[in-house]
Amino acid sequence: MTVAVVLVALLGSAWLLAVIEAWLTTGRLRPVAPLLAGLSHLGRESLLPRKPDRLFFETAPVLLLVVAVLGAAVLPLAPGLVIADLATGALFVNTALAYVLVALIMAGWGPNGAYAMIGGWRFLGQLIAYAMLIVMPITAVAMRAESLLTTTIVGSQEGLWNIVYQPLGFVLFFIAAMALAFRAPFDLPTAAGELAGGVDAEYTGVRLAVLRLARLVLVVTLAAATTVFYLGGWHGPLLPPWAWSLIKTLAVAVSMLLAGRYLPRIREADLMRWCWTLGIPLALLNIFIVGLLILVVP
Amino acid sequence: MMSVLEQYSLLLGLVIGIVGVVLSLYGLARAMGPTCREPGKDVPASAGVLSRDPVWGRYHARYYGYALLFLAFDMEMAYMYPWAVVYKEIGLVALLDMGVFLAILFLGLLYGWSQGALRRQ
Repeated sequence: MTVAVVLVALLGSAWLLAVIEAWLTTGRLRPVAPLLAGLSHLGRESLLPRKPDRLFFETAPVLLLVVAVLGAAVLPLAPGLVIADLATGALFVNTALAYVLVALIMAGWGPNGAYAMIGGWRFLGQLIAYAMLIVMPITAVAMRAESLLTTTIVGSQEGLWNIVYQPLGFVLFFIAAMALAFRAPFDLPTAAGELAGGVDAEYTGVRLAVLRLARLVLVVTLAAATTVFYLGGWHGPLLPPWAWSLIKTLAVAVSMLLAGRYLPRIREADLMRWCWTLGIPLALLNIFIVGLLILVVP
Repeated sequence: MMSVLEQYSLLLGLVIGIVGVVLSLYGLARAMGPTCREPGKDVPASAGVLSRDPVWGRYHARYYGYALLFLAFDMEMAYMYPWAVVYKEIGLVALLDMGVFLAILFLGLLYGWSQGALRRQ
């Protein structure tokens, strides 16, 4: 039952996000369009490039979808409404989403095409840039909650949300989450107009449909993670807990889309330089500040 | 509250379920019609010309300086999680312990920076 509810919420959010994304770009609100687009992919040819690494090519879209859903499986929607409340929950999100890199390298390597391969290796550079800014802010969150259980982390924010308690961590995590979801301005591995779609370039038909669905679910998962770690999860007045979780998750996801619409794509070299010379010192500073706050303020 | 074993089996079931759904989608798409084999259709995108193949092995990972530093930091994170969980309990000692450890690591980052490791090669 819980599994069904969480999956419906996840897919529903992904659908809403697709509708809003199309609304923001075309100015037209067409609720059925994402479903039709998905269905139409079923009727199209799904080509296999010549001399591919078949195993990698086939695994990549499925793996991306699997890890995006697994990441969401440990994030609570409401008290008790979580698929698996693991004792290592916050770490599990990390672990699952580390496989986004594996999936993209596979998608880049598999088709034996130049643009795809460059996209895949670029994402490895991107991971080296953003990875620390995902894990270090989560550490500071775990310090406050004294636990890696995602439900306990939400519980620890009942009085004061983490976005107020550790705003620096929130900003770093939000930016890193956008880079992890490879949304604009961090869409280096796909880079439409520069890499001809990059890792997406050789996927057609039903495989492309799965890949696109996986990308949408990944954004929702990361928005849900931001909600759980920083925005107090299900806490909020009047509305039921699950409604608050969904509203916050969608708000974060849409703000990620909006941020991408007004920023130019960042270069790989710049992204790495900024992340390592500014991001990591700030993330360490965040851990230090939170450590002091925990000791000083009872 | 489920046991740990139950939780992990649930996650495994979820993985199998997703793979099953995707495979049945593939089956559905295949049932709707075969892929028409035509010359040139399976050539990877490469701006209008046939790509030189194989393309594997042609990429220069110019971020290797970062990658080496990343290894050190990634190892360090393995210690950070258990430390973070018991931090409040242990208090100031934990802050000092990890502070010294991170300070040494951060000095390494500064040294690497001064030597030009934080640059696309």
